[in-house]
Formats: sequence, structure tokens, C-alpha cells
Amino acid sequence: MSEARNKRESASWDARLFLRLWEFVRPHQHLLWIGLGLLLLTSGARLLSTYLVKIAIDDHLIPGVQQGLMGLLMAFAGVNLVELLARRSQMLTIDRAGHNALRDLRCKLFRHLQKQSARFYDKHRTGTLVGRITTDVEALYELFSSGVVTILGDVFFLTATIAILLSLDWRLTLVTMTVVPVLLLATTIIRRYVRSAYETMRSRTGQMNGFLHENVGGMSLIQIFRREHKARGEFTEINTGVRDAQLSTVVWESTLSATTEMLGSFTTALILWYGGGLVVESMGGPRPADLGSWSGGLTLGILYSFVDYMQKFFTPLSDLSQKYTVLQNAMTAGSRIFGLFDTDESIKEAEHPVEAPPARGLIEFRDVHFAYDPSEPVLRGLSFRLEAGERVAVVGATGAGKTTLMKLLTRLYDVDAAADGTRAGGVFLDGVDVRDWRLNALRQRVGVVQQEPFLFEGTVLDNIRLGQSHVDPKLARAAATRLGLDECLERLPRGYDEPILERGKNLSAGEKQLVAFARILASEPEVLVLDEATANVDSHTEALLQSAEKEVLRGRTSLIIAHRLSTVIDADRILVMQKGEIVEQGNHESLMQQRGLYWRLCKLQLGSAGAGDAEQAEAGASLNT
Amino acid sequence: MTRDFLLLWPHLKRYRWRYGLGALCLAGAVASRIAIPYFLGESIDTLRAGAERETELGDSGLGAQSIKSLVLWGAGSIVVAAAIGALIRTASRILILGTSRRVVSDVRRDLFDHLLRLSPSFYIENTTGELMSRCVNDVRNVQGLMGPVFMYLAETAVVYLFCLTVMASKSPDLTLICVLPIPLFVISSRFLAGRIQRGSRRAQAKLAEVSAKTDESISGHTVVQALGIEALDAERFDKRAEEYRELNLEVTRARGVLSPLMGGLAALCLLLVLAVGGPRVMRGELSLGDFISILFYLQMLAAPTGVMGFVISSLQRGRAALRRLCEVFDADLTMLDPAGPGPAPDKGGGLSVRDLSITLGGSERRLSDGEGTTQERLPERLVLEGIDFEVQPGKTLGIVGLTGSGKTTLLRVLARELEVDAGSVFLGGRDVTELRLDDVRSRVGYVPQETFLFSKSLAENVSLGRIEATREEILRAAEDSRLSEDLDQLPDGLETMLGERGVNLSGGQRQRTALARVLLLDPELLLLDDTLSAVDAHTAEEIMERLRPLMAGRTTVIVSHHLAHLSAADEIIVLEDGRIGERGSHEQLLAQSGFYKGLWERQEMRERLEREVESFEGDVS
Repeated sequence: MSEARNKRESASWDARLFLRLWEFVRPHQHLLWIGLGLLLLTSGARLLSTYLVKIAIDDHLIPGVQQGLMGLLMAFAGVNLVELLARRSQMLTIDRAGHNALRDLRCKLFRHLQKQSARFYDKHRTGTLVGRITTDVEALYELFSSGVVTILGDVFFLTATIAILLSLDWRLTLVTMTVVPVLLLATTIIRRYVRSAYETMRSRTGQMNGFLHENVGGMSLIQIFRREHKARGEFTEINTGVRDAQLSTVVWESTLSATTEMLGSFTTALILWYGGGLVVESMGGPRPADLGSWSGGLTLGILYSFVDYMQKFFTPLSDLSQKYTVLQNAMTAGSRIFGLFDTDESIKEAEHPVEAPPARGLIEFRDVHFAYDPSEPVLRGLSFRLEAGERVAVVGATGAGKTTLMKLLTRLYDVDAAADGTRAGGVFLDGVDVRDWRLNALRQRVGVVQQEPFLFEGTVLDNIRLGQSHVDPKLARAAATRLGLDECLERLPRGYDEPILERGKNLSAGEKQLVAFARILASEPEVLVLDEATANVDSHTEALLQSAEKEVLRGRTSLIIAHRLSTVIDADRILVMQKGEIVEQGNHESLMQQRGLYWRLCKLQLGSAGAGDAEQAEAGASLNT
Repeated sequence: MTRDFLLLWPHLKRYRWRYGLGALCLAGAVASRIAIPYFLGESIDTLRAGAERETELGDSGLGAQSIKSLVLWGAGSIVVAAAIGALIRTASRILILGTSRRVVSDVRRDLFDHLLRLSPSFYIENTTGELMSRCVNDVRNVQGLMGPVFMYLAETAVVYLFCLTVMASKSPDLTLICVLPIPLFVISSRFLAGRIQRGSRRAQAKLAEVSAKTDESISGHTVVQALGIEALDAERFDKRAEEYRELNLEVTRARGVLSPLMGGLAALCLLLVLAVGGPRVMRGELSLGDFISILFYLQMLAAPTGVMGFVISSLQRGRAALRRLCEVFDADLTMLDPAGPGPAPDKGGGLSVRDLSITLGGSERRLSDGEGTTQERLPERLVLEGIDFEVQPGKTLGIVGLTGSGKTTLLRVLARELEVDAGSVFLGGRDVTELRLDDVRSRVGYVPQETFLFSKSLAENVSLGRIEATREEILRAAEDSRLSEDLDQLPDGLETMLGERGVNLSGGQRQRTALARVLLLDPELLLLDDTLSAVDAHTAEEIMERLRPLMAGRTTVIVSHHLAHLSAADEIIVLEDGRIGERGSHEQLLAQSGFYKGLWERQEMRERLEREVESFEGDVS
């Protein structure tokens, strides 16, 4: 219901909206103009076709003139052929213009979304954004498919019809046209009822589907609690509501179509009555009477053409209010889409990015403040340094801010500015603030392995070479072989060329990890951020993963969000984080001697070491709890 | 096939008067439509006759007057025919289309009624999404079959019958010539409609891909950005957007043939009338009025021909949907009461399980979609094997085991959700398969692992099994399950609306609601399936504390990973791959140094450490 209200509120005649939409149509406007031209041709041919029949009646059938009839028939066939061809081409060109423009709009919107930072995505739900790119763009397409775009063609057709009718007989035209306001008024009013009946039906149907979804999903509960009777009663009520709403749409739609048809027939009667009168009157006129041929009077052919023209006249006229609805919906969709374009929270590259400094692998966090939500600071003045080639493990409880480190280094988020808006502190890579780096260069230099590697469509090999199309496939494969991926992929029929299913569901968690490691080996970044997986894998894969991790870490400055004890023990330095601050640091031995938080965390981990794999996950015993 | 239509028969029978009257009105409406060109033609003949007489006799005045009145009579007849036509046309639509809505609404009610009685195994084999598709899409297609398709076919038949009769009475051979091209157009319309609908389905599927791709990229945006593969990812999106555009244009190409083709049909018919009928009018063999009325009749015939293809497609889709609905109606019902149910078990009886084995899967699963049906056989799996135990009245049995060891299946069998395959289950000394379902279920309180809440108020969710419960009873159940302590955090307390339009409860709150729901029933046999897994340790302890006196009076089976909750049980069994691996009291199991002991020690140590870490965190902050 609120949806419907929103629709009305935002469906304003906003010229700027049209201009913005026009930006996307402009590159394809030639198609639109051609289509419009063809539409005029079609309209002209339709009008001419009726006129030719009128000539046939008046000049040949009634006076009995055989001569020229053949030619007339040929012309009739020709005109109709032209109309058909023109109509076909017009449909194709207009539709092509629409689909081209909206494809461009879609692709541009997608790119806009792509650029947005994680902050943007914190605020917008995925489902809503997907709706913008699909449903809302479709609503704009309706402008093309329903003929709103070609309304000029309708206007031409209606005007031309009136002009022809006036030239045939102005009195009869005026009388006939009295039906038009009645038709417009009637269709507009009835359509309003049709629309509101449909709205009720849609909302009730949605309610019913929700009920069904919930009850089918919770069926076992209904059965156990013996609620069948109650559920049946509720459904009957909802179902009856849907049925009644449907019945009301049937009533109003039937009324609409019957009224339109009735008014059409009334028009015929009107033409016959008044026109017939004119025909009779002209009989009494001074001219000798060959009914078909004298000018000025009303002929039977004209009578026929009036009836036929008015039938053709009614269709676009009664569609007008429908087109208005389409237009309103499109305006709403358009304002939502362009509203999204106007929201820009992308991470911006510096205006004058610094040339990438020579690669050394130095990372420094200097007085870093950061909060996802201003009221809950995550990092409060964090500072630490990673020397070139150093391997640093970060440990701490969930919510201590470990993953945030990774997001700041790769610029998924930016470090919070000081209260006065100037830069306070920052994250530095090889001595340069990451905000001054060219984004591409930064992301080339920093490799990331996320906890749950995200695989994209394409083959396994494509995923290893993801974003590194310059890497020789052979090298990529060699890297994977080095990590022992060959053995895992044996079970897949096409091995490295096996297509990855949606979100990589045909690979196990361990295999996905290995693919992510192979990706790093192939792309050779100087700096590595590794968020160790907590997902439990079988012991064989675990061994493979451990050795793969060693391989990947070798010789790179690495920041590891560690969950595996062995990783932590092997690290050059360990940072123990708690509530956005580093509370302890040092190597394993020194920290154990301190008998602080680290020592306790270690004992916890050791306590569950050696437990069954599944049990380990269930007990949740790892360093980050 | 005919068997599928039998599903609709009782409904059709019930509404036969409406359908019959609707068909009658339809015929009347068509007749009034046919009448209009007829009156038009007659009036034109009158006008022409008048004109000819006038030229011959030079006589005006009276002749003109009578002609005028004749024409007025014709125009009046048209108005009357149109008005009556509009009325009965509306009536026929309301009767036929409306009745189709009634029929379908009844089918939907029956379907839901049937779903209410289907066995849990049916819901294991069919996902909610698939069933929704039956209830929504298939029912809609059947509605198309019963309403628009029926009406269109009836109307077209009547229009053809009437038009052809009237036309033939005016000029039989001319009618025949003009009607000749129509079948050709029906065939091509059929062909093109098929292409358009297949194309639209493909385009829709592609749009779903566009949507899935967007979803993937948005969900994985951090990865895309971290790897710097924006361009690559955008290309992949573009590819789909482009394919979608092309599929749509393909549909337009088919439409672009169909629509002009049907316009062409009208033009061709017109041309034939002009070419063949024109000379006859000149020779005086055919009156001008008849000629013009035939022109209009042909337009009437040409109009429905164009959509014939779509109607045939809808007919086919409706039939396929009907078949799929029949599949659901044919599915096995849930466990039924035994033919001669035994007397209800004595109150406060214990539970005894003898050599119970359960096999799941193995049934045929049909996956139907718009295109066809594929069959998939789910692998058969022995989930429980040779389970034996006994719980004396008022005693407690604890169950532990790894994920997939069969704990939940066991509880579902005890709750009479799954049928006993082999072996037997006795409740209060009686075999449950010989008892009425209601007698069993009214004694059992089962709290499943997954809590399902309905979009109703919290109070209604709690009183699910006893609508008549008083507020005090609900509050007491909420108190016992410690749901009460969260009530003031919820906007409207017990009246807070849950679900889509309401508040989302936390995992712990959900579980406590499920517990309250069962406690309200005051069951003799309490089955708890890892009920406190999402409740924090402190609250869980409190709940267990409150449950203990409640459990004292009833037979209880608890599944839990948290051994502290089980330690007071009279017997504990450890399930390993569907068999009982270890059994005994807490102390006995600890003495065995098996799985149970290992798990106990780890949990002990973890708790101790957690307490330490907590106190440590207290130090720093």
C-alpha cells in the first residue's frame, strides 16, 4: 500500500528526469527518428487504405464503372503491403532503440555500483540494488513497448483522421466527434477502477503468497501442533479475499471493454442516422443524381469511410489513459535509478596520484582511527609497522578490528579523517599514504586472501588468473601444481577447465582456499594480507593448505589474521588486538612468558587440539573466539 | 490426460449453471454484434434504393421522409443492439471469467488442504520454492485455461458460426473465397506465438541471470575491488545485458512478423471481397449493403485469428500445469490413523524404543518446470540402525553425537513426524503405530532444532498449540523459558509482531519462544532438540534450572552439544553414524574414556578459559 503512495508522490512531471533518460537514448536517436518516420508512413497507409475503399464504392461500385477498378485494387494491395512492411520495420527500430538505450543504462548503473565503497553497501540492501538494475529498468522499457515514446505517431494519426473526416464532410465530423469526450471520460473513469481493483488484487495475492510460503515452510510445525484446522480457516479467508479482488477486476475490465465497444457501435449508429439524413437531403438537391460522383453532398462511400475511420480512431484514443499509467510507473522507476546515480560513495583516487614507489614491502599504520558507525569506534589511534619481508600475525577476539586492518590497507574503506576534515594518521605502503596511490597500482602490490575465497564464473584456471590476464596460463598452472591443486581437481571431469558453478559450490572450502593461494602465487604481489579460514577441512586437505600457505608467505611482507596456531608460532611477530588496540606484541616465546591474553588464547587453542574435525567446529575452539 | 481434467470436474459440475448461462450470454452478445453490420447494410440498401428511385421518378418529399424514418429505424436498432450487447457481454464475461476465478479459488483451497495433510517426507523431497511454484504459477495457468482460454474458444466458435451463417446467406461462394486464407493464418499464428513465447521465456531466464550476476558482484564487491578486476567483471555483466537485449529483439522480430501478418489477413480478405464482390455489386447481383456488411464481418473474423496461436499455447501450458497439480494431489498423505486404533495410552507412561531403524530417501523426486519433467532418485540412506533404549516415566534421556549421526531423525520419529520403518516405539506401553495420531501428538512436546516463527504476534506464536491459553498461562510459559526477560526489550511485549513485517528475534529469543510454545502444552513427553544452542551460556543455565522441576514430572529426551545440560540425565546415549556408540550415566561414560569423555574434557577446559579471558578483559577495560 505504501508502495502505491510512494508511486504517486514521486511521479512528478520532472523534465530533468526526461533529459537524463534522453542522455541514454541520444546515441540511438537515429533509430527513434527512423521509427517515428516509419510510424507516420504506417499511419498514412492505414488512412489511405480506407479512402481507397471509399473511392471503389463511390466511383466504381455504385455507378457501375468497371474501368480503373483493377488499378484501384492494385493500389489497395500496394498500400497495404507498404503498411505491413513499414509496421514491421517500425516495431523493430523502436524496440531496438529502447533495448539499446536501456542496455547502456544497465551497464552504466552496474559500473556505478561497482565503484561504490563498502560504506555504500552497508546502507543499501543487495535485493534493492538488484531490483534497480532489473525491475526498474524494465519499467523504463515499457515506455518503448507500450508506445509512450511513439505518442507523437498517435497524435499524428488522430489529427490526420480528423482532417480527412473534415474534408469529407464537416457537419458529419462535428456530430461524430461528440462521442469522443464521452469515450475519453468513460475510459478514464473506468480505467481508474480497473487500476485500483488490480492494486487490491496484487496486494492480496502478495499476502496470500506470503501466507503460503510461510505455511508450506512451517508445515511440520502445523502438523505437530495440530493446527491444520486453524491454518485451513485462515487460508480460506485469505483465498476468498483474493477471489473477491479478482472478481472485481473481472467486473471492471468487462465493463471497460463492453463500454468501449458499445460507444463504437453508438458512433456507427450516429453516423448512419445523421449521415443517412444528409444523404437523403442531398438527393433532393439541384444536381442530377449519380449518388457516387457529385461533390459537396454526402455519398454512401463517405458513410462507409466514416464508420471505418472511427473504428480505427478509437483504439489509440482509448489507450491514452493506459499510456499515462505506464508513464507514471516509468517516472517512479526513473527517479529511483537516477537517485542511485546521484549517490556516490565510491573510494576516489587522488586527483594527482603519486607514482608507485619502488617495491620494498613496508607497511605502516600510523595513528589510525576508524569506525563503521560513528558511535562505535573500531580502531582508536592504532600504530604499528611491518618491515620489508616481515611476517606478522594478528590475533584477538571477534570484533577486535582485525579484518578492518585488511580493509584499510586495500582501501575498501578509508581511514577516518580528523574532526576538522584533515588527514589524521593513515595507512602507508612503501612510505606513501594509500590514499595517494593509484588504486590499480595499490591493488597490484597488495595481494589478498579472504577467509571465504569468492570464486567467480569461469573455469578454475580463469579464477587462478583472475585479474591477471597477462599471466601465462602455463605459469598459473605451474603455481597451482606447486600447491598440490592437481590432486584435488582430479575428481572434476575437466580439471582446471572445469567451469565454476554459482559461487563456487562445486569446490570444497579447502579447494577454494587453494585456488586463492594459487592466485597469489601467479600474481606475485609484494605484500600479502591473509585472513586465515576457520572452515574445517579434512586432515589431508588441511596439510595441503598448511604447506600451500607456507609457500605463499615465503619472501613477502605479510599481515596474517591468524586462526591456526602453527601460523602464529612461525610468525616473526604477533600483534594481540583487543577492542581496536594492540595490547601485546612480540614473538611466540616472549608472549608466552608474559602469561597475558596471548598465553590464555594459546591454552584455549591447545585444549581443543587433536579433537575430531567436526567437533572442533562445534566447540568453536579457535583463536578468534 | 483426461484423468487430469477429472480434477476439475467436481468444480465444473458445481458451477455448471454459471458456465452454461455465461455461454448463453456469450452467444447473445455475439448475436448483437453480428446484428450491427446487418442493420448497417440494410440501411445502406434503403438509402441506395431511395436514391435510385428518386433519380427515376424525380419525386422527393414523401420518399425522402420515409427513407429517413427507415434509416432512423436502422440506427435505432443499432443503438438498441449495442446497448443490449454491452450488457449481456459484461454479464457473460463476469459469469465465465468470474467463475474461472471461483473454480481456481476452490482448487487452491483443496490444494492447501491437501498440503496440510501431506507427510513430512514429502516436504523433505520438495523444496518450499517448488511447492510455491505449484501453488502460484501452475494455479495461474489453470486459471488461464478455465477462464480466458475457455471464453476465447467459445466466443471464436460462436463468432465464426454466426458470421459465416449470415455471410453465407448473403453470398455463399463469396464467403467461401474470403474464408479460404484464414486457416493458413491460424497455422502461422500458432507457429509465431510458439516462437514468441519460447523467446520470452528465454529472455526471462536471461534477465534472471542478469539479476544473479548483479547479486554476485554486489555480494563479492570487496573481492572485485581488492583484486582490481572491475573491468573484467563489468564485461561479464555487459555480456549478459547484451544477450538479454538480443533475446528481446528476437522476440520483437517474431512479433514484428505476427502483428503485420494479422493486419495482412484483414487486408487480404478485404481485397478478395473488393475483387470478387465489387463486380457483382456493379452487375446488381449483390446489394451494396450486403457488400459493406460482409466487409465488416470479415474484420470481425480476422480479429480473433491473430491471437489463436497464443490461445493454443495457453491451452498447452494450462494442461501441463494441471498435470503437475495432479502430481501433488496424488502424493502420499501423511501418516493416517490406524484402521482400528488402540485405546489412548495411560497418562504418564514411559517411552521405550526397540530395535528401531530408519531409512530416508529412495523415493522418486520429480522436478517439473515450464519445459518438462525430469526425475531424480534420491539415494537411500540408513539413518538409524538398531536403536534400543527405554526411558522410565519421569526420567530423562540425553543424546549426544556429531552432526549427521541421526539425533534429529530419532526425535522426529518419536514426535510421530516420521513413520517407524523397522522396530517399534512404545509410548506408555503401547505401540505408537497402533495409536491415533492425535493421541500421540497431544502427549508429545517437541522443540525442533530449527525454530519456525509465523508472522503473527509473539503471544500467538507461543500459543500455537493451544489457542485457548490464557494470558497468565502464556506468561508462565514465557517465564519458564526465560523469554520473559526480553519482553520489555520488544516494542509491544507479547503483542510484538514477528516476521517479515515485524521484528526479527535473535537466535536465542527464537529458541526460547519455541520452548515456551511447548511448555504451554504441558506435555507428558518432552523432546528437546539442541534447543538452547543459540542461547547464551548464562541464560541457558537459568533455563535448565527452571526446567529441572518441570522435567521431573515428565519423560524427557534432550539432544544437546552442551554436556553440562545432559549431566543430570538418567541415561545418556552417544549416537555414532546412526548407532548407539556409548551409553550410560554421566559418571559411567566419563569412566569409559571414549568420545563422551573427550568432549567433556574439552568443554570443561574451554569454560574455564572463557572465564579467565572474561576476567582478563575485565582487567584491561
